[in-house]
Amino acid sequence: MRGPFQNRSVVATLVLPGIAVMVFAMLVPLGFSLYYSFTDWAGFGDVHPVGWENYKAIFTQDPVFWRALWNTLLLMLATVFIQNPVAFALAALLAHVSARFSRILRTIYFIPAVLSLVIVAKLWVSILNPTYGILNKLLALVGLKSLAVSWLSNPHTALAAVIFIIVWQGFGWALLFYYAGLMTVPREIEEAARVDGANWFQTYLLVVIPYLLPVISAVVVIDVISSMKQMELIFLSTGGGPGHLTQFVSVYLYQKAFVAGEYGYGNALSVILVVLSVGLTLIIQRVMRSAPDES
Amino acid sequence: MAKQRRPAGSGLRILLYAFLVLIAVLQLFPLVWVGCYSLLKSGDLFGSEFLKLPLHPLWHNYVRAWVDGKVPLYFCNSLIVVSVSTVASTALSFCLAYALTRMQWRFKALGLVAVTLGMVVPIHTTLLPNFIWFGYFHLIDTRLGLIIPYVAFTLSFNTLIYMGQFRTLPKSIEEAALMDGASWPRILWSIVAPLAMPATMTVGVMTFLNNWNEFIMANTYLATDDLRTLPFSIIRFQGQYSSDYAVQFACMVLVALPALLLYFVFSKRIMEGATAGAIKG
Repeated sequence: MRGPFQNRSVVATLVLPGIAVMVFAMLVPLGFSLYYSFTDWAGFGDVHPVGWENYKAIFTQDPVFWRALWNTLLLMLATVFIQNPVAFALAALLAHVSARFSRILRTIYFIPAVLSLVIVAKLWVSILNPTYGILNKLLALVGLKSLAVSWLSNPHTALAAVIFIIVWQGFGWALLFYYAGLMTVPREIEEAARVDGANWFQTYLLVVIPYLLPVISAVVVIDVISSMKQMELIFLSTGGGPGHLTQFVSVYLYQKAFVAGEYGYGNALSVILVVLSVGLTLIIQRVMRSAPDES
Repeated sequence: MAKQRRPAGSGLRILLYAFLVLIAVLQLFPLVWVGCYSLLKSGDLFGSEFLKLPLHPLWHNYVRAWVDGKVPLYFCNSLIVVSVSTVASTALSFCLAYALTRMQWRFKALGLVAVTLGMVVPIHTTLLPNFIWFGYFHLIDTRLGLIIPYVAFTLSFNTLIYMGQFRTLPKSIEEAALMDGASWPRILWSIVAPLAMPATMTVGVMTFLNNWNEFIMANTYLATDDLRTLPFSIIRFQGQYSSDYAVQFACMVLVALPALLLYFVFSKRIMEGATAGAIKG
């Protein structure tokens, strides 16, 4: 006989509505994407199957696609190797001030993460504006007027500026995770290290960081996934420009489908983005899961 | 609760506090800047000074942002779409998480994979196909057409938060209630739901904020101005009033305020609840 926790109709009632919504709004659309990725449909008119043409063109004849992938990789590196250590260091410092003060500070540090991306984009477009932006005024104030440029449209600075905006916006999350993690480190093991003569740097390097490896790997996984998911901040600040220099796959597929009228091609880009996101996540999770076991 | 570290020596301590406050000031400065210039003349923005305080605030900028940005209309639209999707996503993820932690069933592993994959798939990859697929059901340019994906894309994260919560609750209470002959709806509603209240608060606030701030799906699926959500107030100013910076800044403040208020009220729940799953799991 089945126990109450194996009751099929209860399970079905609990599970099916949620799964149905996910199938309807995520899985079926991906199926549609797959179908249209093998066509040359423009968004109107007839649909012609073209086989692997779109994919072939993307991988062999589309420098913008490779540029977009490269930019995504740079963004990942910036989040993992710049945003992450900074967030960890700040979280560690916050662990040394009073609980009340640290709460106030964390509340402030996290503000960018709760603002609409439309506001964040508009905010930085204004700050980086060459005529009225505050950054160039600041540079003029400290006598570095020669460095002032049109940050988001200058080919030398646009990508760095866009990556900075994304890192700034997402920084609060990493901080939050690290702070929560640091609060779980047992004080005894830190004190034991100190008794053994370790200074603060050694304590962190040899005791705290190894203890927090699961948290660190969770944050890295989130970083990689969220780097693949960035779109709005780019779309609303540079639109991928100047000359596709700040292009990302998610922005590119949107522009291909809705601006250039290459709906089939856009869907092929969509499919590639899904495959890359899922594949990369699986790989990283496998690597992260096996790494702490070996040590 | 919080285990703060031993404080450092007093000189270092002052340095530490000063540094942390400096970071906070840097973080807040852009918002203060927008706040100040939202109360000045648009031309003031082009002055050479670093920051100008609005000694004679022009509240009229806010009136214009309110009227020309269609803030009341878009605010109500956001409230409808976001409230419905938040309630639906919370309820569905509660059920899904309960089945995934407590019940035993054949496709449980598959269910877990589905939830995990739901976290990974970028929203942007569904924008193009949904235009066709939702079109079949006449869901494009309707509120429901926005609510369904808002639920779908918050479901995974919420389910994981609830699963973290359920793992901390003892199963024995439900078992005892089942022995007493309580029905499943009653157990879930009167026993499990009250105990899972902390997770419900986190899930509710996070989902509300996420969907409140959502832009790209609204931008893609909605064509009718009367249905548009609050972020569009800012977008409205990009074309026709693009030189009216003060009004644009005022509009940014107006759009940011509801989310900021909600955040300040529930910051403890957001900051502690959202990370709980990842730290424990």
